[in-house]
Amino acid sequence: MTRLRAVVRDRPDLCDRAHRRLSAAECGRLAAEIIVAYVLVRRMIHGHPLPTLLERLRGGIHDGGVPVWEAADEHITAVRVGRAVARLLPKLPGDTRCLTQALVVTRLLARRGIGSTVLIAVQPGPDFEAHAWVEHGGVPVLTPGAPGFDRLTSL
Amino acid sequence: MSTPRTELSTTTGVRLPQHVVYRVFPAETVVLNLDTGTYHSTNPVGGRFLEALERDGTIGGALEQLCQQFEDEDPKVIGADLQAFCVDLSERGLLEIKDA
Repeated sequence: MTRLRAVVRDRPDLCDRAHRRLSAAECGRLAAEIIVAYVLVRRMIHGHPLPTLLERLRGGIHDGGVPVWEAADEHITAVRVGRAVARLLPKLPGDTRCLTQALVVTRLLARRGIGSTVLIAVQPGPDFEAHAWVEHGGVPVLTPGAPGFDRLTSL
Repeated sequence: MSTPRTELSTTTGVRLPQHVVYRVFPAETVVLNLDTGTYHSTNPVGGRFLEALERDGTIGGALEQLCQQFEDEDPKVIGADLQAFCVDLSERGLLEIKDA
């Protein structure tokens, strides 16, 4: 009988990739890409139903549901894109709230061939609120709903 | 979207469109129309009506389930409420009503 053995492996390569600082040129290119995606989302958001809008932004790239530990490189990219969008978008004029951020992240990830899922959650009651965010491999890459929010749907 | 009607029979089929999602909470049921981005809500009784309609797919089948759940209520009253509820949902694009 084969003895089962749990193995732990350090992955300094992944740590380096996750925490690598972007060069000024890389930052500039990413910022420009985020702004272009934001302009596109703003143009489309009022003219299309959400499912259609997502299909167009994704261009056929869907979240395959692969666990993040099997797609570590992709996940690191997804987290970094999410972080960059969350940092830059609020500085831009217009409605840059959660749904717009989620759509921009979706677009940027699809351009990198990375599938993702948009989740919508609500907090019912007199102070009704709705929140949207993106997940990759089941892990949030934008801030998920706070306690009190319950998932309504995933797209 | 189907044309809303006021007279529905027990064999009338109903369907929640794909672009409509909902979640039942203790105090209300929240419904989202993904096509329009509009949120709606129903009271807890409406939530149970919605679940019964989605489960069964016909007015008659949903009515049977609801009469069992609300056994102290007059079935005719439940039937009338269910009919009005379906018309309400249909007018908002949240329910498709099919001919029998």
